[in-house]
Amino acid sequence: MVRGFRSFHPIILLLYYLFAMAALMLYQHPMFLALATVAILLMNFMLDGGLELRKWRAMILIMAVLTLVLTPFFNQRGNHLLFYLFEKQVYLEAIWQGVMISLTLVCILTLFLTFNLVITPDKFVFLFSKIMPQWALLTMLSLRFVPLLRKRLLEIGDVQSIKGFSLKTGSVKGRAQSGMLFLQTLLTWSLEESIQTADSMTARGYGLGKRSKYQPYYMKKRDWLAFAFLLVSGSLVLFGWWLGDGVLTLLPVLEPVWLSGREWLYWILFFMMIGFPIWTEGKEMVKWKFLRRIG
Amino acid sequence: MEILATHRLSFTYPNATIPALKDISIQVKQGEFVVLCGPSGSGKSTLLRLFKPEIAPHGIKEGTLFFQGKPLQEVTPIVNAKELGMVFQDPENQIAMDNVLEELIFGMENLGFTTEQMRKKVAEMVNFFGLNPLLDKKIDELSGGQKQLLNLASILLLEPSVLLLDEPTAQLDPIAAKEFIHMLQRLNEEFGITIVIVEHRLEELFPIASRVILFDNGVLLHDTTPREMVKELGTHKTMKSFLPSSALLYLEFYKKAHAETIPLNVKETRQWLQGEHVEWDEPSEVSSAAAVPSPILELKEVDYQYSKNTPAVLYNLDLTIYEGEWLAIVGANGTGKSTLLKVIGGILKAQHGSMKYKGKKVRKWEPRKVSYLPQNPKLFFIQDTIRKEFEHLALKHGERNPEERIQNLLNKFGIAHLQNQHPYDLSGGELQKAALIGSLLVEPTILLIDEPTKGLDPESKRAFGELVSTLVDEGLTVVMVTHDIEFSATYATRCSMLFQGKITVTENTRDFFHENTYYTTVLNRATRNSSAYPVVTLEEARRIWRVKSPF
Repeated sequence: MVRGFRSFHPIILLLYYLFAMAALMLYQHPMFLALATVAILLMNFMLDGGLELRKWRAMILIMAVLTLVLTPFFNQRGNHLLFYLFEKQVYLEAIWQGVMISLTLVCILTLFLTFNLVITPDKFVFLFSKIMPQWALLTMLSLRFVPLLRKRLLEIGDVQSIKGFSLKTGSVKGRAQSGMLFLQTLLTWSLEESIQTADSMTARGYGLGKRSKYQPYYMKKRDWLAFAFLLVSGSLVLFGWWLGDGVLTLLPVLEPVWLSGREWLYWILFFMMIGFPIWTEGKEMVKWKFLRRIG
Repeated sequence: MEILATHRLSFTYPNATIPALKDISIQVKQGEFVVLCGPSGSGKSTLLRLFKPEIAPHGIKEGTLFFQGKPLQEVTPIVNAKELGMVFQDPENQIAMDNVLEELIFGMENLGFTTEQMRKKVAEMVNFFGLNPLLDKKIDELSGGQKQLLNLASILLLEPSVLLLDEPTAQLDPIAAKEFIHMLQRLNEEFGITIVIVEHRLEELFPIASRVILFDNGVLLHDTTPREMVKELGTHKTMKSFLPSSALLYLEFYKKAHAETIPLNVKETRQWLQGEHVEWDEPSEVSSAAAVPSPILELKEVDYQYSKNTPAVLYNLDLTIYEGEWLAIVGANGTGKSTLLKVIGGILKAQHGSMKYKGKKVRKWEPRKVSYLPQNPKLFFIQDTIRKEFEHLALKHGERNPEERIQNLLNKFGIAHLQNQHPYDLSGGELQKAALIGSLLVEPTILLIDEPTKGLDPESKRAFGELVSTLVDEGLTVVMVTHDIEFSATYATRCSMLFQGKITVTENTRDFFHENTYYTTVLNRATRNSSAYPVVTLEEARRIWRVKSPF
């Protein structure tokens, strides 16, 4: 979808992730975090059909369950003693804390999965170059070398294996020796070849004056609108945290978990902000589904 | 108007006793297409690089270079970078960035263009070059030819008035090379860009060049039109090999020809032959019954796939290789030629099929039976000097009297004086020979050669061809994959065509090329269906044609 969440200016996207991360860390309340988990999982499914999520599913689950189980076990503070486990007290407060920590973990990890889908390497380099142009160029140059060196090492291995120097067969010592020789060859060869790269860069005027940078992205009207939305909702969410509406007080007295009054307002605001990708991506999905039928 | 010029230019590399360039004075006019040629190490690339002071070699320079009538040192580096575009030999190494778009704009960014300017220019250039489908690709997804076109495009974006090209097609296959040269011709004819190109592949360049300059050992030998050059060199012993084969055929029979009449391409040769009466001796059928050689290697129903989801590169391939032959396997890019060689060499394991060596099934090669000469001979060396490499290899295989054998081979191949050099300091031809020695050291029965003529000048090519020929005469079996039709036609004993993962045809070299219409040598294309008996190589024409010379 050309106009989905991913089509926003990288800076807007980065801003969203910064706000979302901050909100997840600050709002330590099961009701808020549960909502965020649902929203972010939904976002994962909308962006790539849950493909990336499936790859990490097991690891995320294990981590969540471990924190959920272990927190009450180590946290020995609270007023509501529930039961004893291996002669240790288990408190209700500690269980809620476990729930919150594990939900935060799930949220942050799954949010990061979408970060990888949304901030593709070219967007990342673009953002990076805003801060440190020289380093961004260096990153680009080295990016090119990763597949190149891999390919070259494979070539060396192929040619040498017919000569009888192999990494796959022979004694450990022999293999290690061959390996060192291969790496040394890779290094000399690549250095030799990169002189030509340097020549070609110089011939095209590299290092002569101030470099300009091609800007593949520019702020459109919808980017400004999104910027305004994120700024307003983000500040309100921060304000809510400052008021203490999104934090579950555990000690000295456990606050009721169910929300009340003004907290519902912030709950909705929180959802609006975290769910920003869902609106933008969802709008496009709906458009596709219904507009096609009219045609 | 003169755009480039040198006045009494000499150049000596540090620690060298002989100058690399001696007293060179040339003028290049705007819009000219100039070809610089000569054997390796004749100084032509040095001359090209001296026009770009930032990348010029170190050494002692005498004389002056001019750009648009101004001495080069008065031209600011920015103007130089913009006006003199340079394309180098290796398509891969010139590319600095990781994707196509970034690479295209690299030069413009260096010179501080704004984003709007870049967007506009890139749009223009991408349409002109047809690079649209490539724009978002990563560099390592491109073919060699595409990479070289990308290099050219990224330089043209700076709108240079002169293009300097240093053997730009040496690493490309013939089709990509033709495409590249055709693009140069368009740039020259449609936009008037001045082109100065150093190149060994002259067959396509002679017909379109406006001038050819020949160097030898740093001395300018000739500076004239292509036809005049043919006339000058027709009688030269070694430089002759630089000429297009059509011209050589003509000169074979008209030693004192007028320059204007010399044909430079297939079309002109055919026109010449139409007005010609050629008699010939019917070539005697070579008695092949003499001794039927025994098969040394048999491949049956070989399949190879790189991964489960990619199409098979080799499929149901059968191939028989006979003892003491030089088999050339030809075919277009990506037909799996190199893969086949790697399967034979045991680098890759076929998923299906069998390979028999002298009737016995091969599971794993003993290193003494098969050797491999890689496309890039640099890869053969993992030691500092070529001699150390040979000793290391001999030690590994427990060779007896290695020293004597190494010295013998070094002497036989004429590179004994280079034995203590680092392999990367050798020229292309010398390195090729050194790698050949390395692969012969274990006394293999089969030698696999991958694309041996890439980047070699005609003289080194000839030397290499003859060297391998003598080895074949001594009983070595050679399997070579190559794009180089002319080379296969001259030296191989049998040729196979690889297509869709199968060997479609295997024949004696002569029959093979005689029967092909498109995939054959220039001379065969020029002489088939003409008034004369069709020939494949110059050698053949010399043997059987009798032209009634009017002179």
